[in-house]
Amino acid sequence: MKRNLFLKIFFSYLVIISLSFFVLHLLVKDKVDKIITARIEQELMHYAELVDLNAPQAISGHLQVISKISQSRVTLVNAQGVVFADSEKEISGLENHLYRPEIQSARLRGTGRAVRYSSTLGVDMLYVAVVIKDREKLSGYVRLARPLHDVRSAVEQVYQSIFLAMIIGAIVSLLVALFFAWRLSEPIRIMEEFTQRLRQGLPVGFLRLQTTDETKTLAENINYLVEELQDKIQLANEEKSKLMTALTSINEGVLILNREERIEFFSTSLAGILSGHYEDFLGKTLLESFRNVELQNAFQSFKNTKTGASREIALGGADPVIMNVSLSEVQGLPGEEKTMIVFHDVTRLKKLERIRTDFVANVTHEIRTPLTAIIGYLETLQDGALDRPQDAKRFIDIILNQARRLNRLVEDLMTISKIELGEVVLHFEDISLSEIADNVISLLEAGAAAKAIKIENHIPKDLPAVKADRDRLSQVFVNVLDNAVKFTPDSGYVSINSFAQEENLVVSITDTGGGIPREEISRLGERFYRVDKTRSRELGGTGLGLSIVKHLMMAHGGKMEIESQLGKGTKVSLFFPVNKG
Amino acid sequence: MEEKRHTSLHYEKELQAIKDGLIYLGALTETAIRKAMKSLSDRDTELAREVIRDDDEIDRLDTDLEERCIKILALRQPTAIDLRFITTAIKITGHLERIGDMAVNIAEKAMQLNEEPQLKPYIDLPRMTDLVGGMIKDSLDSFIKSDLEQAEQVRRMEQVIDDLNEQIFRELLTFMMEDSKNIHRALLVMQVSKNMERIADHAKGIADMVTYMVTGECVRHRTCNMLE
Repeated sequence: MKRNLFLKIFFSYLVIISLSFFVLHLLVKDKVDKIITARIEQELMHYAELVDLNAPQAISGHLQVISKISQSRVTLVNAQGVVFADSEKEISGLENHLYRPEIQSARLRGTGRAVRYSSTLGVDMLYVAVVIKDREKLSGYVRLARPLHDVRSAVEQVYQSIFLAMIIGAIVSLLVALFFAWRLSEPIRIMEEFTQRLRQGLPVGFLRLQTTDETKTLAENINYLVEELQDKIQLANEEKSKLMTALTSINEGVLILNREERIEFFSTSLAGILSGHYEDFLGKTLLESFRNVELQNAFQSFKNTKTGASREIALGGADPVIMNVSLSEVQGLPGEEKTMIVFHDVTRLKKLERIRTDFVANVTHEIRTPLTAIIGYLETLQDGALDRPQDAKRFIDIILNQARRLNRLVEDLMTISKIELGEVVLHFEDISLSEIADNVISLLEAGAAAKAIKIENHIPKDLPAVKADRDRLSQVFVNVLDNAVKFTPDSGYVSINSFAQEENLVVSITDTGGGIPREEISRLGERFYRVDKTRSRELGGTGLGLSIVKHLMMAHGGKMEIESQLGKGTKVSLFFPVNKG
Repeated sequence: MEEKRHTSLHYEKELQAIKDGLIYLGALTETAIRKAMKSLSDRDTELAREVIRDDDEIDRLDTDLEERCIKILALRQPTAIDLRFITTAIKITGHLERIGDMAVNIAEKAMQLNEEPQLKPYIDLPRMTDLVGGMIKDSLDSFIKSDLEQAEQVRRMEQVIDDLNEQIFRELLTFMMEDSKNIHRALLVMQVSKNMERIADHAKGIADMVTYMVTGECVRHRTCNMLE
């Protein structure tokens, strides 16, 4: 920058100087030539007139003197052109000079001059001739000749001084150029460095200049722009980070496809939902990353219609996640249209929805079954069975049984809804688990004995007491043990054990029953969910037992877990939080 | 120069379209076998009909993809890796189309089985379906990513499926020996299992083609090395 500027200034000075010298040369050159030649001619003329012909005997010495003084060759020619004296040459060898131009011109006008190549001396010569008159009669000529390079050297001397002046001028202009270049380029150089740092993103601060001219205003403008730019960048960054925080922290998965239909942005929550690696999906197409036909079709139809759409799509293979997928267009620059896809996980919602509809269907079914029996037998009685006391008694027994079952069902339902609504008030007291188990076993012993099932209580008597509601805890044990007895084939075992695990006291009830298929276990706490639909009802269950247990354990701050192996048996574990008080 | 870049960009797009088409076809066939199995385990005849209907789309895509591959072969005259990519793609669509047909077979058997009471709860078959579905996905993944390691995994998986098929076969034999009335249903279930096993074979075929595409080495048959 500095160098360029300096060179520019320097060369422009140089061009101006050379140009002026050139013009000077054009104007002066001929004149100088002429003036100098004329002056020399004049000089030679004067010398010529000095030649005295009145002393013919001494003429040779005379010529030598004049030749020396005038630094020229002096030749005397008579009126016929015959050379009769010469300062440098033997006259005998010289031809007639009458027709030399300078002589001719002298004959006509009194004086004559000529520039000519001299064959005698072998150089360009300037010849000057003057007529010699003897009493008004032409008697001969004096001719002086001087080599032309003498004339030229005089001219060159003038030129030398002109050239010297030119070099001095050039040196001066170089210095001036240096000075101006430095003065001009210094602020520009500072600004250049400043903007360079700005470009590289280094911290710049403010641009300060010591000048007062236009560069100062320029620097101020740059400062203003930089400030403005930094404000804008900061604002954009803040906006971006806000947006990114929002996008990454929401539960919904967000995905943005660029114009080439490749994934450009992928929110971390979506990566979590689909348990994929974040980087894996960037730059991939929708089809490549999801392998889902429905999603691809949704995207295709969105692309064709360009109207926002939303639909439910099951993603993943074996254990699908149901996503509510909505597509919308992101308005960008023209030709930069992007597509945003928002994934909302509705798997849980769907499941709850199914549980609710199942529940309504189950309740009506559970209530209708005993009601149908009751109504049927009552109609039979009405149709005349009443008159046959033996049948009537049997029917009434059945009706009573069914009515009791209906009652149990309603009671269970009430319990469960009360627990769910939080209306059950638990009266906490210190309770020995071993004692409760013994009490419940004594209640169920009759039923167990009928199937030759042994119930063993291995809970140590000195186990620390837990804080619980006595009645509710009894209900939990009754429900679990009742199930164990019901689903264990004849002459099986049911054993109750206890152990401490982390913060909990665990009571496990293990039976040797048929077990429960793995995929059913997760649904066991649902109301009316039965593993073996017909058998359970035959055994008189309401389908609410384990659901009540689950809710009661939750009300006690504990939980219920079930492990099972088909054909081997089931283990129900009840977790009680350890009483720290 | 400008013209050449444009052409190659276009070419690039055509290759990508083939890739996308294969993934789409793969996803379709995977859905088809999952649906076919679901129609069997949930005794859902309507779903089985859907699988049979959807196979038309698989067949259409198969011919469409093959046509596009042949067009590229004719017009672009690909060489080296591109040539292997296109020929591999042609073979893969063939495999996928066959897988679709087998899903139809399974759906047909499911429809027949749904007419009669369930022979036994299906435990191994759904497991097999998940594994086979995963194999299709992985084999296509290995194709997209040119991942030899993944292709090798698919090949190893095929042995697991074979063993499962063997196990189901033995289990069904006991049912047949128990009661001759079971034979018809047991045979149908056996065919379902056999179809699954053959789908796994096709997935392995895809994996073999991927190895060929990446290394130019044939691993399909034991005799391959001898031929060379």
